[in-house]
Amino acid sequence: MTANIKLAWRNIWRNKRRTLITVASIFFGVLLSAYMTSMQEGSYDKMVEIVVKFYSGYMQVHHEDYWENKSINNVFDYDQAMVDQLKANTEVDYVIPRLETFGLASSEELTRGAAIFGIVPEIENQLTGIADKIISGKYLQPNDDGVVIGDGLAKFLKLQLNDTLVIITQGYHGISAAGKFPVRGIIKHVSPELNKSIIYMELKTCQNFLGAENKLTSLVVNVADNEVMSKTLKKLKSEIQSPFSVMSWEEMQPEIVQQIGSDRAGGVIMKAILYIVIAFGILGTIMMMIAERSREFGVMISIGMQKTKLATVLFIETLFIGLLGIISGIAVSLPLILIQAQNPIPLTGETAKLMEDFGFEPYMFFSTAPEVFWQQAISIFIISVLIGIYPIVSTLKIRAIKALHGYEKI
Amino acid sequence: MTFLILSGSFVSAQDIKEIVRKSDEKFRGSSSSGSFSMTIERPTWSRTISMKSWALGTDYSLIYVTAPAKEKGQVFLKRKNEMWNWVPSIERMVKIPPSMMMQSWMGSDFTNDDLVRESSIVKDYTHKLLGEETVADYLCYKVELIPLEDAPVVWGKVLMWVSKKDYLWLKAEFYDEDGILVNTEILNDIKKMDDRIIPCRMEMIPADKKGHKTIMIFENTDFDVPLKEDFFSIQNMKKVK
Repeated sequence: MTANIKLAWRNIWRNKRRTLITVASIFFGVLLSAYMTSMQEGSYDKMVEIVVKFYSGYMQVHHEDYWENKSINNVFDYDQAMVDQLKANTEVDYVIPRLETFGLASSEELTRGAAIFGIVPEIENQLTGIADKIISGKYLQPNDDGVVIGDGLAKFLKLQLNDTLVIITQGYHGISAAGKFPVRGIIKHVSPELNKSIIYMELKTCQNFLGAENKLTSLVVNVADNEVMSKTLKKLKSEIQSPFSVMSWEEMQPEIVQQIGSDRAGGVIMKAILYIVIAFGILGTIMMMIAERSREFGVMISIGMQKTKLATVLFIETLFIGLLGIISGIAVSLPLILIQAQNPIPLTGETAKLMEDFGFEPYMFFSTAPEVFWQQAISIFIISVLIGIYPIVSTLKIRAIKALHGYEKI
Repeated sequence: MTFLILSGSFVSAQDIKEIVRKSDEKFRGSSSSGSFSMTIERPTWSRTISMKSWALGTDYSLIYVTAPAKEKGQVFLKRKNEMWNWVPSIERMVKIPPSMMMQSWMGSDFTNDDLVRESSIVKDYTHKLLGEETVADYLCYKVELIPLEDAPVVWGKVLMWVSKKDYLWLKAEFYDEDGILVNTEILNDIKKMDDRIIPCRMEMIPADKKGHKTIMIFENTDFDVPLKEDFFSIQNMKKVK
């Protein structure tokens, strides 16, 4: 076998140019598909991250009517027993209470719609790390009577630090809630959508303001990742009884899951086309090689080389070409993608605006997930194996005399 | 002979208009001031708001919220078909824009438009007697009101029941232009208030929302009080108590 491998290795370097061109076509194929996959997966990861990390968390417990009708009337009482029960699950990292509603935010002259988040500052920070996103002023302190607002909202309302923000909305059970709040800090939120509308308020202040003492709209239940979530979700669904309900981010944001699904399917088609092109490239080279070497094969069979051995050598040659392409492709794409992941490509102009309108950062992000690389490696390897069957079949069919005279069309 | 008998039970169109006018006037007086409470009932909760009010004719009114504490001090002013809201907690005067007219007033089943509506049940409708019915032990005229072509009215038809004795407005049904019932108002708890006898409790029941109801209870009202138009000013909104 070692001899076969040695023979195959030497054979492929007998015609350097042919081998290098074939390897190059695979190399570019791997590079391109890895780059594309990385870019796609990177943007999906970012979408999920914005949703999960900066907004919903992996799971949320609500009043069962809340998600259908996000009214401040569909709230529930903060219950330490329930929080403890949730925390009793070892998978659950933390439980974050929130009171969310919408209202009109107003400065001297200007008004715009805003999302009001009543939060417990230090616990909320564990999930979203918003304290680090403060660009001026301070993060909320316990029992703070002020607000932290999005940079976009501050700009729109022409508000500076320590200015007064007026919020008008409807509170619990229809009471009119209107209040003045000093701006303690301005935050650059990762989600452009929230950046333009977010108001963070200390939970107690928010409950007071809305006349909803001790009430919450949601408990964010956070776990390590998606895998842990699907397991925990099942458990929590049976644990959490009416009038409460627990939802995963996928249930809360089905449009994101669908968007990713359809986009990924589009990527699969692109990659399939790419691989078909590569496959026929390799097949062409192999056919050419066999035709060129038909006399050589004739001689070898005539002097007693077994056809099976010859076929094995040719099969290994095909695999070598495939492997060389894969290794070189991965060797170049890995550092390239690692660098790109650190430096996402900024988008400009219309595209950037479109992305922001959808609520995403206008950057092309890259994923360094292992499947970005091994998926390409596996695909090319399977293609090489399949193509490797062709020389096996043709050598087994070879007729030595005709091949010797160069008549055999293989 | 036959003619004479008929005319005995016959009420002319003019008379019906007069009946409606009297029942309307009873409620309003030329001016009034008083206090009332409004209870909003919902399937899972209810809450009560107490208010003081001043009114002059159909054009001017002022409402001052006295309870609950969170909303105390809010003032609503109606001048003709415009409406303002003074919110002391943010020191803001909010003019209710036309686009918000159909929204709920203070979370109740009344819209802002219900408060400022200029239409008069006397002037803007044609009146027709449909018959007599008994409502809460009172024998009533059942009157159909159809709005005039150019009247500023959102209803397609209004049915009202006015008692024969004392001309008390006891019930009304409001229909939209397709003849579908939108709201029902039921008035009861008939008491002497100041110089007249009127129903002191009004229930407003929207037809399409199960379990929703708004109840107004007039605690005391003085009629024909000396009020001038300049009382109903934006400046006065901030001073009134």
